[in-house]
Amino acid sequence: MKCKVAVVGDLETVTGFALAGVAYFHVHRNRKETLERIKVFLSNPQIGIILITSRVMEELSEELQPLIRTKGPMPMVLVIPDRKGYYPASVDELERLVRRTAGVEVVLG
Amino acid sequence: MTKAVTTISPTRMELIRLRRRIELAQKGHDLLEEKMDALMMEFLGLARRIKAARTEAFAKLSDAHSKLLKCMAWMGTLETVQASTETLKEVEIDVSGRSIMGVRVPMVEAVEIHRKPTDRGYSLHVSSTLLDEAASAFEEALSKLCELAEMEEAIKRIGLELERTRRRVNALEHVLIPRLKSAVAFISFRLDEMERDNFVRLKRIKALLEAREWKR
Repeated sequence: MKCKVAVVGDLETVTGFALAGVAYFHVHRNRKETLERIKVFLSNPQIGIILITSRVMEELSEELQPLIRTKGPMPMVLVIPDRKGYYPASVDELERLVRRTAGVEVVLG
Repeated sequence: MTKAVTTISPTRMELIRLRRRIELAQKGHDLLEEKMDALMMEFLGLARRIKAARTEAFAKLSDAHSKLLKCMAWMGTLETVQASTETLKEVEIDVSGRSIMGVRVPMVEAVEIHRKPTDRGYSLHVSSTLLDEAASAFEEALSKLCELAEMEEAIKRIGLELERTRRRVNALEHVLIPRLKSAVAFISFRLDEMERDNFVRLKRIKALLEAREWKR
């Protein structure tokens, strides 16, 4: 199945990915608008992957977490660091998942 | 436990049926436990691979960002953004599914995202080579991020399935099997008791009959 990619984030991130040929993008300005756009992206069957920068994820995590948890298999949502490489532990789903399922802190080499 | 005990009838048929159910539950429990172990191995292996892939992809992304910054400084932010809107938005990825231990996970085919500067669509004579560099760096980062997205989605699915399986194993181990076992114990005690009752009854009848014989 052919799919497109969507990006939500700051201007630099969006510009960069637009240069790479990403078809759907949204520059985050305020919560309401961004949330609406992400909802549209999530329900668009053409989109396979949504890239969201960590800052947006952090700011909207209350609204986004349930949306992401209840979505179907498509699209995939990936949190990426923003232009300053900001990637806090609060958006790191993996660490939490590993701790919860493995029951212990696993040091991944 | 007590509720289950009060509703079962202490018959031999019931006992056989229960024993069969215990056997089945035990078998299911063992199978699920094996599935859990296999999923766990898959899960941890994937987690390790994600760690490595993430480091690589994020490094590529930060490299791309620094190239873009350079380009913005050279060409101007507005011009760069303008060029990005002129870029052809044709990148597509091929998503299919596969199954790991019965868990459907997405699989991203690595479609060639890299393009030649002439194929990108922005006008070449107003753009700097820095723009080409930034664009190709972002293309590279994007392909790595697609792989990462696939793996992260897969691990989420596997984690969910793992939790579900663990819950079922625990339910079988701590609820269903003990309940069935106590029911079996109840029935066999009851049957033994009935047998002793009967034995005593027969003895008594025999004694009565013998006494009657004696009198005659």
